Amino acid sequence: MAFAPKTQVFGSRINEVTIGVGDKSTVIGGVNVLPFYNFDEQQTIQPKIGAEISDLWPESFPAPGIASFYAGCTGMAEMAKRAETLEGVSFLCLAFEGADPNGLNKSVADCVAQAKEVAAAVEMPLVIMGCKNVEKDAELFSAMAEALQSKNVLILSAREENYKTVGASVALAYGHKVGAESAVDLNLAKQLNVIMTQLGVKPESMVMNVGSAAAGYGFEYLSSTLDRVRATALEQGDEMLQMPIVTPVSSETWSVKESMLPESEAPEWGCAEERGIEMEITTASACLAGGSDAVILAHPESIAAIHKMISALM
Amino acid sequence: MALKGLDIFKLSPKTNCKECGCPTCMAFCMKVAQGALPLEKCPHFSAESLAILGEATAPPMKTVEFGAGENAYKLGGETVLFRHEKTLVSRNLFAVDLCTGLENDVIDAKIAEMAKVDYERIGERMHVEVLHLNYAGNGADKYVSLVKKAVAAGRALVLGCTDAEVAKAALAECKGMAPILNGANKDNWEAMNAAAKEAGAILGVQGETIEESYEVISKLEAAGNKNLVVDVTGADIKNTYRNAVLLRRTALKDGDRSCGYPSIVNLNKLAHGDMHLQTALASLFTVKYGSILIMEEFRYAEALALCGLRQNIYTDPQKPMKVTPGIYPMNGAGPDDPCMTTVDFALTYFLVSGELERSKVPVNLIITDASGMSVLTAWAAGKFSASTIQKGFAELGVEEKIRNRTLIIPGKVAVLKGEIAEKLPDWNVVVGTREAVEITKYLKDGEHVKAAEAAAKTKSKETVKAVETQEEGPVDYSKLVYPEVKIIPQEVSYKHRDPSSKKFVVIGERIHCISPVIREAMANFDPEPILKRAAEQIAAGATYLDVNIGPAEKNGPELMTWAVRTLQENFNNVPLALDTANKKAIEAGIRVYNRTNGKPIINSADAGSRIDNINLAAANDAIVVALCSADGIAKDNEERMAHCQTMLDRALALGMDADDLWFDPLFLVVKGMQDKQMDVLHAIRSIADQGLKTTGGLSNNSNGAPKALRPIMDSALVAMAMMQGLTSAIVNPCDLRLMETIRTCDIFKNNELYSDSYLDI
Repeated sequence: MAFAPKTQVFGSRINEVTIGVGDKSTVIGGVNVLPFYNFDEQQTIQPKIGAEISDLWPESFPAPGIASFYAGCTGMAEMAKRAETLEGVSFLCLAFEGADPNGLNKSVADCVAQAKEVAAAVEMPLVIMGCKNVEKDAELFSAMAEALQSKNVLILSAREENYKTVGASVALAYGHKVGAESAVDLNLAKQLNVIMTQLGVKPESMVMNVGSAAAGYGFEYLSSTLDRVRATALEQGDEMLQMPIVTPVSSETWSVKESMLPESEAPEWGCAEERGIEMEITTASACLAGGSDAVILAHPESIAAIHKMISALM
Repeated sequence: MALKGLDIFKLSPKTNCKECGCPTCMAFCMKVAQGALPLEKCPHFSAESLAILGEATAPPMKTVEFGAGENAYKLGGETVLFRHEKTLVSRNLFAVDLCTGLENDVIDAKIAEMAKVDYERIGERMHVEVLHLNYAGNGADKYVSLVKKAVAAGRALVLGCTDAEVAKAALAECKGMAPILNGANKDNWEAMNAAAKEAGAILGVQGETIEESYEVISKLEAAGNKNLVVDVTGADIKNTYRNAVLLRRTALKDGDRSCGYPSIVNLNKLAHGDMHLQTALASLFTVKYGSILIMEEFRYAEALALCGLRQNIYTDPQKPMKVTPGIYPMNGAGPDDPCMTTVDFALTYFLVSGELERSKVPVNLIITDASGMSVLTAWAAGKFSASTIQKGFAELGVEEKIRNRTLIIPGKVAVLKGEIAEKLPDWNVVVGTREAVEITKYLKDGEHVKAAEAAAKTKSKETVKAVETQEEGPVDYSKLVYPEVKIIPQEVSYKHRDPSSKKFVVIGERIHCISPVIREAMANFDPEPILKRAAEQIAAGATYLDVNIGPAEKNGPELMTWAVRTLQENFNNVPLALDTANKKAIEAGIRVYNRTNGKPIINSADAGSRIDNINLAAANDAIVVALCSADGIAKDNEERMAHCQTMLDRALALGMDADDLWFDPLFLVVKGMQDKQMDVLHAIRSIADQGLKTTGGLSNNSNGAPKALRPIMDSALVAMAMMQGLTSAIVNPCDLRLMETIRTCDIFKNNELYSDSYLDI
C-alpha cells in the first residue's frame, strides 16, 4: 500500500508585517501552514532572528562570548554596527533595561539619544524594548516613536495597562509597528489585539508577544499558548490572532540558574557559558516550533545555530 | 480513533452478569476503553461485535515497550498532536551515539562522560537513557565488543545495524533487554525481521523518505510484526522533519495505524560535529514528534536545557507539576536557620525559591504535599492546613533536622497562624508576605526575626495546648458547646418543597467562607450576616443553600451544628448542602438536620481521596455531590465516566439509592479551558443517559470574565446544560437572568406547567 499523506494548508494566513526601511527592511509573519511545515506548502517568508543589544552593555555582558564579540565597542551604536555583521540576523533589538526606575533609572532623554545614535549608524530595522515598568515604558516608547520618525521601527510592547498611550503614539501618530504583549494567556492576547484595533491601530501594524519563558521554567504554558494561538489564527481563521508572533528569548534564558551558576559552584555542570548558549538555543528552537515568527537572541553562537536550523528547514 | 466506552457498551450483551469481575457491563466497557481490561475478559460479546471492536479498539498509536529492568521505557501511545488537546504521555528519550568506527578508548571515554549526567529535577531522574550503537561495517567482532561495553554501561540499547548476520551476533549479547534493532529497509527487511523476532527485539524501520518506510512497514505488518519503531532520519534536516511530522499526523489525525509507531531521529547524522545545531534540533524534535533522539554528546549543558524543556512539554496540562515534599535548604541554610513553608505547586515553588535565592538569606524551604495546588486553592480544598503541615513536618522529620523554631507561612493563609501554632507548639509561627516578589525585602529587613521574637513572647505568657481534632478520636456530638441559636424574625420564609419534584434544584452558593464577611461571621458565631445571605437567596428562589465552613479543623462540629440549626430554625427547615472537608463537622450537622424539605447534601465526594464521603452519605442517608474526578481534573470524558462508575459502584454496594448521587462533571473556566466546554456538556449527557442526576458549580465557567458578561454566559451555559440533562447547579441565585433562564428551561422541559405569570410564582 502506498503512503498518501494529506496536506494541511489553511485558508487563513498570518499577516505580513514589514519593519525597517530600504534594502534591509524585513518581513515578519506571512505563513499559512504550521511552523516549518513546508511539506504542506512551501513558504517564502522564513522566521527571523533579532540580535539583542542591551543598554547595560558593555558594562555587564551575560557571557564572555558576547563580550568578545563586541570587544572594543564603546556604545550601543558601535555594538549595533557589529551585530549587523552577524549572519542570519534580520533586525536589531535595543533593550533599554537601564530605564527601570527600580534599577539605574536612566532618563528617557538618555535612552532616546542612544537610540538615535544607533539609528544613524545602522541600516537594519530596529526593535525597541523597554524596562517592563509600564509607566516608564509608555513614556519611553512615546519619545522613541517621535525621535525615530520614518524609521519604521517595532516597539515592544504595549500591554493591557498602557496600550492606549503606546498604541496612539507609536502606531497612530508616527506610523511605526507595535507589539501587543500578554503573559501566556490566549484570551488576553486576543482581547489586547481587539482593543488595539478598536483604538485604530491597523492589524498590519501589529505583532504579538504572547509571553516568554525559559525551557524548564513553566515553558509548557508558553508552548501551549503558541500552539493554540496559531491553531486559532489558521484553523478558525480568527483575524484577531493573525498578527505575527515575536518572542524575546535571551532576556529570559540568561537569568536562570542553569545559565548563571558559575562553574566554580557547580563543577560537574561544566562551562557556564556553554550551558547558557544551549539554554538559549533550546528555548528559541522550541518557540519557533510553536509558531514564533521571530525570536530575539543575544549570543552569537546561539544566533548561528538557530540560523542554521531555520535555513535547513526552509 | 480509539473507541469510547459508550460505543463499546452499545455492542455489549448488557446482561450485567458480572463474570468479567465488574459489577455492570457499563463498568466493564469503561475499563476496556481505558485499556485497563482486555475485551476478551467478557465471554458474551457476539462474534460480529468482536470483529467491529477488534479493529476499532486498537489505539491509533502503538505503545512500544522498550528496554528492560530499570531501563524499561514506554514509547509512543500518544493520542493527540498537541499537549493542550489532552496530554502527551511518553516523554522522548535521549541517546548518545557510539560507533564501531571509533577507537576503543574514545568509546570508553564517551561512555564515562555520558554516565556523568545524572540528576533529579522536580521528582524526575534526568540522564542519558539510551545508547545508540552504530555498526560501521568493519566486522562483527568489533560490533559485538561495542555491544558488550554498552551492556555493561547499563542503558537501554538501539542497535544501528543493517547487516542481519552481524545483528544476530549483537542481539545475542543483549538477550532479554528488549533492545531496538534499527535497520530494516526495503532490501533486508525479511532477514532483519527474523533476527529481531528471534531475539525479542523491537525492529526499527528505515527509509530515505517516509513513503519508502511506509512500504516496509506494510510488509512487516503483513508478516505479523507490529513491534516496530520508525527511524525518520532522512537525507537532510528538512526531510527528517517532514517524515517525523507526517508519520505522527497521519497516525493521529487521519487514523492510519500503519503510521502509529514511535520515531527515532539521529541528530548526530544530521548535524555531526555541531552540538549547538544538534541541540536546536533536539529541542524541535522534543516539541514535534521525536521519540528517541540520538545525539553525539549529552553533556550537562545540553541536559539542563533539553530535559527541562522535555519535562515541561510532557507535563499533563490537567495535573500541575508538583515538587517532591522535602526540606530545601536555600542559600546554604542549616539546622539553625529559619524555616518557610509553602505548597508543592511547581510554579509556586519556582517563584518562592527564586526570590529566596535572590534574597541571599539562608532559609529552609519546607514543602509539604498540597496536591499540586496553589496556596489559596489548596487551603480552600483542605489540602494546605495546620494538619497537613503538621503531618508533612512529621513525615519529613523537620523537628529532628532543624533546630531553629521560626516558621514563616504564606501571607495568603494568615488565618492558619493560630491553628498551626497549636499543632506545632514549639514553633514561632510568623505570617510572611502575600506575594513571592515581596519576600526578598521582607527577609532582608529581618521582618521574620522581629515577628518570631514577638510570637515567642506571647507564647511564654500562655501555655499553648494542642486541641483535640477530628483525627484524634470520636467526637461526642451531644456534648458540643456552641453559642445559643438565635431566632431572628425574617421577612422571607422558605416555602415547603416536595423532595421528589423534578424541577431544577438551585443550590445557593453564597454562604461560603471564602467571602470575608462570612468568614468573619463564622469565626465569631455571628448569625446575622449568614442569615442575611440566606434570606436573599431564598427570596431569589434557591432550593437548597450550600453552607461552606472551610476546612474548620478546630471547631468544625460545633460550627456546622450551629450553622445548620441557625439556618433551618430561622427559615422553615430550608434544605442544606453541608460543604467542608471536615467529616466530623458533616456528621455533626446531619445529626441536627431536619429533613422535611429534602435530605441533606454532602458536598462533596470524589473518586480519589474523598471517596469515603460516599460511605458517610450512605451511613447518614444523605445525598452526596460526586465529583467526576480523582485528584485533579479528569483528562477527558472517558476518565470522567470511569470516575462516575467507580463512585456509583461504591454507592450501590453500600445500599444507596442512585438518585442520591448527584454527579458533578466539574464545570471549567472558559478563559483557559474553552476547548473543553463541550466535553463537560457531553459528560452531562452521558451521565443523564444512565438515568443519573447531575449538579455542579456552573458559574465557574465565567470566572475572570467582566461582571456584565457573567450572567449572560452562565445563563447560556445553564440552558445548554439543562438540555443535556443537568438536574441541579450550585450557583448564585441572586443572579436574576440566570434564575429566569432556569425557570424558563423548566417550562420547556415540562417540569412546571406554563402560565403567563410563571416567573412571578
